[in-house]
Amino acid sequence: MRYGLHNYRFEVKKFYAQSLAGAPETRLTALDNGLRVASEETGHATCTVGLWIGAGSRYESEKNNGAGFFLEHMAFKGTKKHPQTALEQEVESMGAHLSAYTSREHTAYYMKTLAKDLPKAVELLSEVVQHCSLNEADVEQQRAVVLRELEEVEGNLQEVCLDLLHATAFQGTPLSYSVLGPSSNARTLSRQDLVEYLGSHYKAPRMVLSAAGGVNHEELVGLAKTHFSGLSFEYEGDAIPVLSPCRFTGSEIRMRDDAMPLAHVAIAVEGARVGSPDIVPLMVANSIIGSYDIKSGGGKNMSSRLAAMAAEENFCESFQAFHSSYSDTGLMGMYFVTDMHHIEDMMHWSQNAWMNMCTTVTDSDVARGKKSLKASLVAQLNGTTPICDDIGRHVLNYGRRVPLAEWDARINAVTPKMVRDVCSKYIYDKCPAVAAVGPVEQLPDYNRTRASMYWLRF
Amino acid sequence: MMSIAARRSAIGTCLQFTKPTVNASVFSRLVKDFVPAASANGKVPHLISRVNHIIRPVRDPLLSSQFYFRSEFTGATGIRLAHTDIKVPDFSDYRRPEVQDPNKSSQDSSEARKVFSYLVTGATTVVTVYAAKTVVSQFVSSMSASADVLALSKIEVKLADIPEGRNMTFKWRGKPLFVRHRTEKEIATEEGVNLGELRDPQHDKDRVQNPKWVIVLGVCTHLGCVPIANAGDYGGYYCPCHGSHYDASGRIRKGPAPLNLEVPFYEFVDEDTVVVG
Repeated sequence: MRYGLHNYRFEVKKFYAQSLAGAPETRLTALDNGLRVASEETGHATCTVGLWIGAGSRYESEKNNGAGFFLEHMAFKGTKKHPQTALEQEVESMGAHLSAYTSREHTAYYMKTLAKDLPKAVELLSEVVQHCSLNEADVEQQRAVVLRELEEVEGNLQEVCLDLLHATAFQGTPLSYSVLGPSSNARTLSRQDLVEYLGSHYKAPRMVLSAAGGVNHEELVGLAKTHFSGLSFEYEGDAIPVLSPCRFTGSEIRMRDDAMPLAHVAIAVEGARVGSPDIVPLMVANSIIGSYDIKSGGGKNMSSRLAAMAAEENFCESFQAFHSSYSDTGLMGMYFVTDMHHIEDMMHWSQNAWMNMCTTVTDSDVARGKKSLKASLVAQLNGTTPICDDIGRHVLNYGRRVPLAEWDARINAVTPKMVRDVCSKYIYDKCPAVAAVGPVEQLPDYNRTRASMYWLRF
Repeated sequence: MMSIAARRSAIGTCLQFTKPTVNASVFSRLVKDFVPAASANGKVPHLISRVNHIIRPVRDPLLSSQFYFRSEFTGATGIRLAHTDIKVPDFSDYRRPEVQDPNKSSQDSSEARKVFSYLVTGATTVVTVYAAKTVVSQFVSSMSASADVLALSKIEVKLADIPEGRNMTFKWRGKPLFVRHRTEKEIATEEGVNLGELRDPQHDKDRVQNPKWVIVLGVCTHLGCVPIANAGDYGGYYCPCHGSHYDASGRIRKGPAPLNLEVPFYEFVDEDTVVVG
């Protein structure tokens, strides 16, 4: 191998293409009751295995908003076969990590353990999900914990801001609910509510048993058959919960508190749904805008124009472009944290970056964005847990795992004209949703923000 | 280790928010358990009892006090414990009909709603600009000549008052105006004049609209005196100042004047009336 510049770059490209082509295949099997089993054998000595469920706050109603979250708290409080201490001991003796998360459309319970402990892990997971004990005393005890958690999350202003963004953008629809649920529900949810929630949403066709690491697919399927055959797939009264579309409302919500040191502002337009072909150009556009944190190096030499400006003029502490996709809608936007004197500037230049995407994005910007997107997609899958999560979410969203090679091909197909057209479709002259927390007096009026969503020069 | 394991947040930054460009579902909620000791042995009686009352923040030594957590203990109601308690009000009263239904995407009607708004705005702008222009020009034109001044610029002459062969003089725009009722003989004479003889050649029919009536300014083109009607060698006008003779058409025939008498703008409103000016 020669290390002259020309040859080295060629070698790197070859490695990238090879690694994409040679990535282990994700195998997918479905059981009779509808449960899907998916795994990727990466050859690691450890593995992550878990259950990804198509349930979340979007499936809740105003009365039981927060049930999924509460249930997640209850999950590790013991099962019918293993009371709490026994469960804890089992997990700890394996040296495993048992975790869970709930989001608006997905819930996940997963375990990180040694590859050889896969059978035990699947058994414990099956118990946690199917046979959670849910006794009254634990429910009452966890109630206090949930309430304290609600207090605690007030300190995470990013979470607060983005929750408020959803609340206003999707007002009147289930997507506006926060995963945590209101405190009134935390105080009144009963064991019965949790059982009902479990019964209506934890159904086999909506669940995926996903694994990544040193796992064997056949072994996993066998374990699934052993432990998950009893998973219900029928709904009471044949009432299959159907998700209705959620209306997006261009609107604004401000939680002003001049005592806070920093303002957190998020602005978003309605984005693309999960299976939309527009996702990739939008992701490229977000890559071009990029993200910035004052703690990172780079300063005014950052490639993203907005980041370079933010660093040089000290416009913000941090910003990021984000795109949350749900099954039939999405939120594409920008979130920034800044002090009270730079909100207007930051908002102006953020929207300017958007207008640039819609009208004058250059070839070099798009090339840079594509490369950085490919790099981040690959870098994200750095361990069995991110891979397992990727598998679980993909199977729930798309019905299959989308391999990196496919993402690569779709990204390569993006042209500057495509970026301009797609961004114009979603951003240009559309009503945004704005959420702001902190000392936000300087944030321009909504009419001004709305007026900056188009350029008179075009 | 178990209690931390149960509520692992270490993956937090990686899965939760750092890949903003890529996340299909950014907002994964990771649970954090920050009361590990309590949950492990299940004994938190003081917390349970608080559930039935209003929870007071900043009392528990485990939690650091949060200056930005605005919860004053004002009573049974009126305390917001969490941002999730904030309810966005129902704005249905203000919504357009296409977006009343929360279960229908607003994208479908977005084009139509925008077009309507822009059309209304555009039409209002046009009307407003026109109205503004009207108001401004009304104010500006108030500075131009008033009606009484403008009225002086025209004169209405009743032709029935003038007998044949006679000339009448009117004051018009500060100058004398001659209106002459010509006889047939005079008309024939003037029309027959050879243009080569004239100092200022003009055929009679170029100077009158109706040959019976000659309307000219009574100002001599030499030095501005007023000629006398029915005088001079040519049956027209004679200027006594320097001896200029004009014919029945007002053309100069003899004398120092260089040009014919000026014919102003006039029109016959009807058989009997002419408006000059």
